[in-house]
Formats: sequence, C-alpha cells, structure tokens
Amino acid sequence: MSAPSITNFIVKRPWLKRWMTPLSQWYTDAAGYRRLGLKYDHQPFNPLQFMRRLGRFDDLIPEETPVVQDALKRLPPKEAYDRVFRIRRAFQCSISHTLLPPAEQTKPDEDVEYLSPIIREIEKEVKEREDLDTLVVRR
Amino acid sequence: MLSRSSLSRNAPRALNVGRRAMASAANPAFQYDVSEAAGVKVANREVAGPTGTIALVAKAGSRYQPFPGFSDALEQFAFKSTLKRSALRITREVELLGGEISSSHSRENIVLRAKFLSNDLPYFTELLAEVASQTKFPDHELNELVSKLLKYKQQAIFSNPENIAIDAAHSVAFHRGLGSQITPTETTPFEKYLSADAVAEYAQSAYAKSNVALVASGPNAADVNKWVGQFFKDLPSGGASSQYKVQPSEATKYYGGQQRLSSKAGNAVVIAFHGSSAFGTAGYKPEASVLAALLGGESTIKWSPGFSLLSQATQGFSSLRVSTKNHAYSDAGLFTVTLSGKADQVGAASKNVVDVLKKAAAGQVASEEIKKATALAKFRALESVQTLETGLEATGSGLVHGSKPYQIGEVAKALENVTEQQVKEAAKSFLSGKATVISVGDVFQLPYAEDLGLTV
Repeated sequence: MSAPSITNFIVKRPWLKRWMTPLSQWYTDAAGYRRLGLKYDHQPFNPLQFMRRLGRFDDLIPEETPVVQDALKRLPPKEAYDRVFRIRRAFQCSISHTLLPPAEQTKPDEDVEYLSPIIREIEKEVKEREDLDTLVVRR
Repeated sequence: MLSRSSLSRNAPRALNVGRRAMASAANPAFQYDVSEAAGVKVANREVAGPTGTIALVAKAGSRYQPFPGFSDALEQFAFKSTLKRSALRITREVELLGGEISSSHSRENIVLRAKFLSNDLPYFTELLAEVASQTKFPDHELNELVSKLLKYKQQAIFSNPENIAIDAAHSVAFHRGLGSQITPTETTPFEKYLSADAVAEYAQSAYAKSNVALVASGPNAADVNKWVGQFFKDLPSGGASSQYKVQPSEATKYYGGQQRLSSKAGNAVVIAFHGSSAFGTAGYKPEASVLAALLGGESTIKWSPGFSLLSQATQGFSSLRVSTKNHAYSDAGLFTVTLSGKADQVGAASKNVVDVLKKAAAGQVASEEIKKATALAKFRALESVQTLETGLEATGSGLVHGSKPYQIGEVAKALENVTEQQVKEAAKSFLSGKATVISVGDVFQLPYAEDLGLTV
C-alpha cells in the first residue's frame, strides 16, 4: 500500500517545508478534484483525475483490497453516507462535463483525511498479526 | 473379601470420617482471607499447587444493566483491545504463558477469570487491571466481534427450551431488576440501545473500585494484595453520573404468575416459587436447598433413579428430564422445578410435581429421605464453594453485595440444623403462596397453572 514518499524528508526540514507547502497547495488545487466536491481520500474514484494522477501512485487507494474494504466498513455512518454522496455528485459532474458551483466545491480546510487514519490502523493490525504469527520465542 | 464383621466395624467409622471432615471445615485452606488493597476488596486463599486463579467479580450483571444487552456486551468486551495492547496481543501473550482467560456473567455479576502457572501472577493481575480500567471500546470491535459473538450466544442459549423457560420464570417472578433477561432474546430490540460509547460509560461505573472484588486462589495468594495494590490504583473510584451507569439495586419483590410461550425449540415447564436468597443474606433459608435436594429429579448415581421424590415419581416417563434448583441471589431466590421432554410427558409429570410437593407439605416423607436430602444439599453447597468455577463468583459476589463472604463451616452448620418441620413448612408456604408457572413449546398440550392446582 504505502509507496516511497518524500513527505517525511520534507517535514523534518522546516526550511524545505516552508518552500514546499505553497507548491503542494497549488498542486493539489490544480489537480481539480476539489472542484468536483471530492476529498483527497477518495481521489481514485474521480474518473477524471484517476488517469491523470496514476503517476503519483502513493495517492491510489484501490478500493478492492481487503484492508480498504474493512476501513470502509469502519467509517461512521454519516461519513460513509457523505462519501457516497460526494462520489455520486462528482460522477454526475464528470458525465455532464461540468464543475460544481464554487460554493459547493471542497474548501482546502475541508480537505482532510478521513479514511487514511482507519487504513493505517488496519495496516498496523495486519502487521502486528504477521509479526506475532512469525514470532520466534527464545527462552 | 470383606467379611461381614469388618463391614459392620467400618460402617460407623465411615460416618465418623464424614463428621471429622466437617470439623476440619474450619480449616484455613478453604476459607478466604478478606482484605482491602488500593480501595479494592480482595479475598484470597492459600492452596498449594503449581497453578493459581484470579477472578474479578463486578456487580454489573443483567440485574444492574441500564438497558438490555449491556452486561452481555461488557462481558464480550473483556480482553479486547486496550489502550496499551491489542486483543490479539493479549491472546498471544496468554498463549505463550500458558494461561487461560475467560469472562462470563450471571444475573448479578460479571466475572473475569484468569488461570495461570503460579509464577505469572503479576502478569495476570496487571492484565485484569488493564481490562477493567483501560479497555478501548472502539466502535468496530462492537460491530465486528462483540455483536456477532452475542448473536451466537443468543442462538446457543435460546435453542434450549429450558433456558427460555427459566428466563421467563425470572421475569414473571421478579419483573424488573432480577427479572430482566440474562441475555436478550433474538427478538429483543436491544441494538438500538447498544453503542460502544454507551458500553464504555457502563464499564466505567461497572469496574469502579467500590463495585468490584478480586478473588484469588493459589500457592502465592499472599502476594495478591501487593500486586492488586500496585496495579488497581488507577481503577476509577466511581463512574460519571450518566444514564448508562450501573443501576442502583432496588429491593426485589416476588410477584409470581403464569406465562405460556409457543416455541419450536422443544417443550419445557418451569414451576417456580419464592425461594431462598444466597448465604449470608437476610432471606437465607437453608431448608429451601434441602427441599430442592429432596424433590431432585436428577440422580447423582449412574443408571439409577436415585432417592429423590421426583425421580421416583417420574420413573415411568422415558424421555423426560426433571431438575430442581434454588437460584439464590443477594436479596431473593427462585426455587424452580424444570421439566423438559415430550409435550405429553411434560404435561403429565408436572402434575406429579405438585402431588409430590403436597406430600412433602403434609409431612408424608420418611425422615430417612430428608436426611439423605440434607446430606446431598450439604455436599452441593460445599462442593460449589470448593470448585473454583462457582466458588470464586460466590465469594466475590458476597463481597460486592456487602454481605458475608461464603464461609464453609457456617453453611454446613446451617444445613445440618434444618429440621423436618422446616422442610414441611417450606413446602407448605410454596403451595399457599403465589406460584410461577411457565410453559414453553407446544402450549396446546402443556398444562395451565389451574390444571395443576396452583395459584398464580
């Protein structure tokens, strides 16, 4: 799931972070998914952006893996409903080749992770299970 | 070969041995030492051997739950993820140490148990403290594990008509409180009350310091106090007042009545009366347990109907199961005769139950039989304390309910002092008072209370 990322490298260096933050903000905004009312966490379901962003494979959260399926089940009911709503709305926009009116577009401060924390938690559980399964006891 | 003379010489000795064993019931090995560590009541007894047991008894059974299903959920949440480790890690660690952890609940208590090699006492004491004070109660564990386990439990319990009948008998006899379902039935809408946050709030007051007792038995029981003092410091001293906290116990009142439930699970009839409460409480009547042994129904000896009146009376019925029990609680008791099997036989045999009870009330029972029943009742009471499974809960329950902890010597004495007259009076009071009659199964064939001659 997790692809090599330079995020940590950048965050550890304040000067680099200061440089990169506006750049990344510009980039995310230019990616256009916010204009369809989507959030970063369901990027892969935006058919327009899906192809364009294939190169940035750390973004891809394929829904088909068991981990993500579990994570989707664990979403609180309201979040899950909103997520489906956003995806359907974006799909309609995509079909009709329109963008949402600016008031309905996702604001940068609304664009927060909501699925990734659950995915990370499940990945931790899976890793823990693997570790414990392959445990060697030395007494 | 035993000669006749040696037999006759040994017989009185066999009786004497029994008496001497009673005298040694004051033997400290079977008594629990009660003390307090870090504000938590601790009972321990020193028993030589390579393994030990520790149990946490919380006064949070189905009687005290704020909404249906809470005790079950809290019981299933035991040993799930805590703030320090995941449920999987707890399981694997216990496996590595070679211990055994389990949780259960009754109408009055939730019991968390751990059995282990005696060296691991600190680990398991810490584990119990962690479960009691630091369980995480995440939503997904409720949805993915707890509610599924609860569903299987419901299926397992309510596929047996006897369990349905006993549960119904409690709710008819005691209404709310003690009468609330021990596990919600499959048709009970309990899901709407249940959420992980609500269970977490319930846990806060269920595992509060004043609400729990620790009972330990093992070779190094003396260390228990030390470890409990160290690990149970952080237990909440009282839950926040919310609608989900442990409900205050109201004095139980016996109502009685009749209920008929159609079911395809099988046939069962429960005839119940106002019985005796647990030892050490005001409503303790030792004659109820003697009467339960006298009526009996289940034999203690293989391939023989046994001496009990009901097993003698129902000998002709081939597929019938009869058992008599006094369900004792902290402030009330339910004396139940349970019959299950084919509908026609259950119907016919339930008339026998009332006949036998009338016979006992009229004093037409040989004193020999009552002596046997007293001995059996004494054996059962003492054995249930000595056996860890039941003894730990009985002891802890006595501590959290503020009554005396179970003391073997006194129980035995109380049972020995039961007279024939007392047994007769108990049977009489059952017949004159209000009965509880539950029929489950093919109600077309099963009798009404009036058919049996009981008032409800």
